[in-house]
Amino acid sequence: MRKLKQLIGQASAAPFYQRKLAMISAGASSSLKAFTQKAPTTTLEELIAEKRATGDPYSSRWNKDRAPLVVFQLEYDSETSLYIGLGREELAGYAEALRRCWSLLGLRRGDGVGIFDYGTSPVSYLASSAFTPYLRRGAADALGCVVICNDGGANMSRRAVEIIKYVRPRILFLRSDCLHPFALEVEKESISLSDYTGALVAVENEAVLSTADREAYEKRLAVRIYRMLRIDAAMFLAVECPRCRLLHTWQDLFLVESPAQDNNEGANPGPTPLVITNWFAKSCPAIRYVSQVKATLEPAGCPRGPKDVRIAA
Amino acid sequence: MKAQRGRFYPDAMDTWPEAKLRRYQLQRLRLVLQHARRGLSFYRQLYGEAKSRPGAVRSFEDFARLPTFTKKDVLDAIRNNKSFRTGIESRERADAGVLCMTSGTLGTSFLYLPRRWAEIRGDSLARAYWWAGLRPGMRMLMAAPAWHSLAVQETRVIHRLGVTCVVPWGTFLPRHASGFLAAIAEVRPDFVSIFLPMLYALLAECRRQNLRPADAFRSVQNVLVVGAPMTPLSRAKLREELGVKDLFEGLGNPEGLTAMECSHHGGHHIFVDCCYVEIIDPRSGAPLPAEKRGNVVITSLIPHGSAYIRYDTEDVGEILPGSCPCGRTWPLLEVYDRRVNAVEVARKEIFPYDVRLCVDKVPELIHIPFALLRGRGTAQLLKLKVQKPAGGAGEVLASRLKTHIKEALGVEARVEWTEELPQRWKGVAVIDEENEGRPRV
Repeated sequence: MRKLKQLIGQASAAPFYQRKLAMISAGASSSLKAFTQKAPTTTLEELIAEKRATGDPYSSRWNKDRAPLVVFQLEYDSETSLYIGLGREELAGYAEALRRCWSLLGLRRGDGVGIFDYGTSPVSYLASSAFTPYLRRGAADALGCVVICNDGGANMSRRAVEIIKYVRPRILFLRSDCLHPFALEVEKESISLSDYTGALVAVENEAVLSTADREAYEKRLAVRIYRMLRIDAAMFLAVECPRCRLLHTWQDLFLVESPAQDNNEGANPGPTPLVITNWFAKSCPAIRYVSQVKATLEPAGCPRGPKDVRIAA
Repeated sequence: MKAQRGRFYPDAMDTWPEAKLRRYQLQRLRLVLQHARRGLSFYRQLYGEAKSRPGAVRSFEDFARLPTFTKKDVLDAIRNNKSFRTGIESRERADAGVLCMTSGTLGTSFLYLPRRWAEIRGDSLARAYWWAGLRPGMRMLMAAPAWHSLAVQETRVIHRLGVTCVVPWGTFLPRHASGFLAAIAEVRPDFVSIFLPMLYALLAECRRQNLRPADAFRSVQNVLVVGAPMTPLSRAKLREELGVKDLFEGLGNPEGLTAMECSHHGGHHIFVDCCYVEIIDPRSGAPLPAEKRGNVVITSLIPHGSAYIRYDTEDVGEILPGSCPCGRTWPLLEVYDRRVNAVEVARKEIFPYDVRLCVDKVPELIHIPFALLRGRGTAQLLKLKVQKPAGGAGEVLASRLKTHIKEALGVEARVEWTEELPQRWKGVAVIDEENEGRPRV
């Protein structure tokens, strides 16, 4: 429980969490169960309200005197912009999450990886130390892959197809909202996508491509499509496993809760919003962040990652 | 660049005597040629077909006899090989690298940029940002178009100069302007690095939000712009509107060119530590002296990753005469536009930048978009479509503009006012009349 105590201690240095955590008893850090029962949740609306009330770009979540090394504006359609601040530790932990996503998808040394998303998406900026200052090792550096990015606008679909044709990435990560224009461009070029790439990975912030859409695009493009979930306000990543087709994530990086499920032992309440606590985000903590993604937690045990947390979304 | 307390600061190389600089450059050119001869099949074929002997290059004159190539040659190689691997790049397996792209009117080409390339080019670029006022401890706003090599270089600059950064969501397209503006106003960077058309989009966003640009940019000391040329008058107006100390213009391309203004703004100092620049006559290929406009031909002096050697950028530019009052000895370059954007009027080759200089002399028209209309062959009259300024347009404004054009360019002009120009996010449009008025993008 040292990790939990440390997290609460560090979070308490941030004004936002200082207020929230002041309300809970010391016993909340005695066990994970006590923590999930007693520690208050954090919502996007609260972060927005805090930002508006204080004018602090980090919604009073930044807990250090010194400014963050890197600040990213987040992709939320809110009236006011939200930001996260990252130091070296956050960058390293976040990039490790991406590396594990890539590994689960089978990416290895020498593979090409295409990314059709903005440079400001964690899928892009954590991919290589070449893209982000103070990131010591991105996913591509760690695995020995060669990465290429394309801006994530629908009008860049033609260029994404050029990447497919001339780089032949083993996997192309792309924004879910780029799938349709990308598919149109592939059809216009009359190329057989599977001749050029092994799979597509559709990525979204706080949403997951529906199974029906995924299946429809798989049929249309004749290529495997996996899904990846970003929850940027909590610096969270999970990716669909090619073997069990559930989203995998890692308990040493994140505590993932499905509160209704936890409170209904034995009964299945159906999908509920995922609640994320980030273990590595120490300077800009995310504690019990209630995401907009409804999902259920499935038992661990996939051969590809026997201890991984598995999510059905 | 030299190390000092773990960070890097510019050394005295930018004030080296010319002879020393030339010796350095020749040495680097020979190193790059050696690299090309050993491992780059594109050049082996190019030089073989031209019967050139890169190993025999002993002087700049020898070097100038090597063949040039253009983007079309690169694109042809990509299509023929069905791969981004054209033989221009070396793959350094022990050194993690990324692929970046160049975009443009002709198509997309790829650059393989290993870590060593990013270190060398980024350390060189750090000098440019230093000149523009970026200092350790400052916070810089950077866009993060990871597809472009500038993002890779800026990453290195930030790390080396010990600055922090804020990255707005999205990319430098006008539809992301409100997010960029919020990031500037809320996270308060000291320094902004931005694409010039995006800066204009930010000004438009300020007007839309009824916000004074100087209020939004209150924290910003200096701005570094790239992507399109600024005229002296538009710079002055931008500085006044933004309330910043200064705006600096950087020139460059991913293939190898870095050139940067100093605080005297008398042209762009070529970063001779990383690139060698020639101006050539586009017809004969002969080198042109200072003050003569021609095609800008660049050679990257970095023998890692994609190495461009005598690459004809098809940009039109000139080496400016004389020395800069700042005391730096790196030659001054001005680049005006892509050659394909030339409009021939009364047997004169006119570029949008030449016209922009005239347009900016009419204060009501500073920052107002315009386009040149181009017919088939030589025209006797320069035809412009100019967006109506907010205060309205009329014959008086048109007359003043036509007078400036006549004085500066020696041609007659016809000005047509328009409510809205075709939106082109990158620079000024040239509209081909025979192309039904669509902008050539």
